Amino acid sequence: MTKAVVAQNLVKDYDGVPAVKNLSFDIELGECFGILGPNGAGKSTTMRMIYGHTLPKTGDLFVLGLNTKTDIKQIRSKIGVVPQDDGLDVDFNSFENLKIFAAYHKIPSDVAEARANHLLSEMKLSDHKYRHVETLSGGMKRRLVIARSLINQPDLLVLDEPTTGLDPQARLWIWNYFENLKAQKKTMILTTHYMEEAERLCDRIAIIDQGQILDCDTPAKLIEKHIGSEVVEIAVGRESSYWKSKLNSLKISYQDYDNKLFAFFSNQNERQQFIAQLQNIHFVSRTANLNDVFLKLAGYQIRSNA
Amino acid sequence: MIQVWRRNFLFFRKTFLVSVFWTVLEPTMYLLAIGFGLGRFVEQIENLTFIEFYYPGLLASTAMMVSYFESTYPNYTKLVYQKTFSTMLLTPLNPNQILFGEILWGATKGFIGVCGVMFVSLFFGLFKMQIFMTLPILFLLCLVFSAFGLIMTSTAKNYDSFIFSTSGLIIPMSLISGTYFSIQNAPVLVKGLAQILPLTHAVTLTRTLLYRKFENSDIISVIVLLVYFVILAYLARKVFYKKLIS
Repeated sequence: MTKAVVAQNLVKDYDGVPAVKNLSFDIELGECFGILGPNGAGKSTTMRMIYGHTLPKTGDLFVLGLNTKTDIKQIRSKIGVVPQDDGLDVDFNSFENLKIFAAYHKIPSDVAEARANHLLSEMKLSDHKYRHVETLSGGMKRRLVIARSLINQPDLLVLDEPTTGLDPQARLWIWNYFENLKAQKKTMILTTHYMEEAERLCDRIAIIDQGQILDCDTPAKLIEKHIGSEVVEIAVGRESSYWKSKLNSLKISYQDYDNKLFAFFSNQNERQQFIAQLQNIHFVSRTANLNDVFLKLAGYQIRSNA
Repeated sequence: MIQVWRRNFLFFRKTFLVSVFWTVLEPTMYLLAIGFGLGRFVEQIENLTFIEFYYPGLLASTAMMVSYFESTYPNYTKLVYQKTFSTMLLTPLNPNQILFGEILWGATKGFIGVCGVMFVSLFFGLFKMQIFMTLPILFLLCLVFSAFGLIMTSTAKNYDSFIFSTSGLIIPMSLISGTYFSIQNAPVLVKGLAQILPLTHAVTLTRTLLYRKFENSDIISVIVLLVYFVILAYLARKVFYKKLIS
């Protein structure tokens, strides 16, 4: 086994509505792989296929060298999943949630208790061991779900929007935790709407939309390839067409958004030269980031179906 | 499968006394009001006193009701709102193991209800040694209606959907399956209808085991219950799987 995940030409539709169209990608062992895309892009469908809650219509998907069509039971014993819905069992407390989940994995109860205690302390939940899960805060619930995903000591972690809806402190704490897992060479697949999260954690990122991969590379290469290194946001207001023709004549690439233009530069010199020409107009100059790549590839507009 | 059953058992254990009390209270009230209250005015029915006649019917309908309710509302909550089954499906458990764990649990709860009613009936002089022979039949009936409940759970659109199966099937069945009145002299239509219902067969078998000699022809009723269970479990598998895996 050389790859953690191999997806070959995956196709899935829901009652004729395509969700994933011919998706292929590989994930290396020890890699943190990010999947970014707007709502409805096919991220969750792809994730669900990995843990077998959704079956591909055609195509093949291998996880840890095992075929999702025939070996899903074995796959699930070797992976840990943080799904979008917590799915915590509200009839039980934190400790019981971990123990019962471990029992589903057929982990002997003494081993399960030891692991549950260890994970609760690692997740800073020891003081909330006997609290019913409904009384936990959003951040605590999320940490408990992460603890649950680790109870079977998985070789691969599947994280579907693990920090959505959390406050900045909780998010930061979880990022640090994942960075530690990364340092231990734990293989991870992550979907997120937070570009900062993806940029910080992922070795490689696939940007997908309408069930297809638009590009897949390291965050740095994606930024360099699609944006350059510098961005100037110009508040052009009604003079959009004037500025567009000016940028065109200067051969500067840009994106048009509402009454703003985002001009992209490959280095600081180019940017400085351009800024020197700007007079009587409001602008913001900054370095390029993954957000720029995402919006350029997936489009700036919100969609009627998202 | 047993892990799924165990999860429910662990929760049941937390509320054991309250849960059993409410489960047994309703049939006990029926026993008093119908069995003893109304029964005083009935001379004989199928050569039995009314309370003797009614008691097997009460045991069987308790088995049916408790199992059916246990495998509908709580499971719908777990399926749709608590995502308990989706969480189970993140582990090596497969949909069949979850389904049969739940069917077995629903039946267990029904069986606990039946045992509770039997216990209460001790105090009314209804205990006979033969009662232990009825337990396998009543448990089989619990399995039938637990499986039926899971079909309803998997096909329900919301909680209101259960009114169709409750008021359309379960309640009418509890009335015409030879529980309250003898169907031996009933109009052909009623008698025919009753004969295709699983509860009728369970009531008849329970009554036979308690008061009569078990004839070879009674095997048919056992087979009917088994066939019902196999068919309902098969259908439940199909609809439950569709709910969990897309």
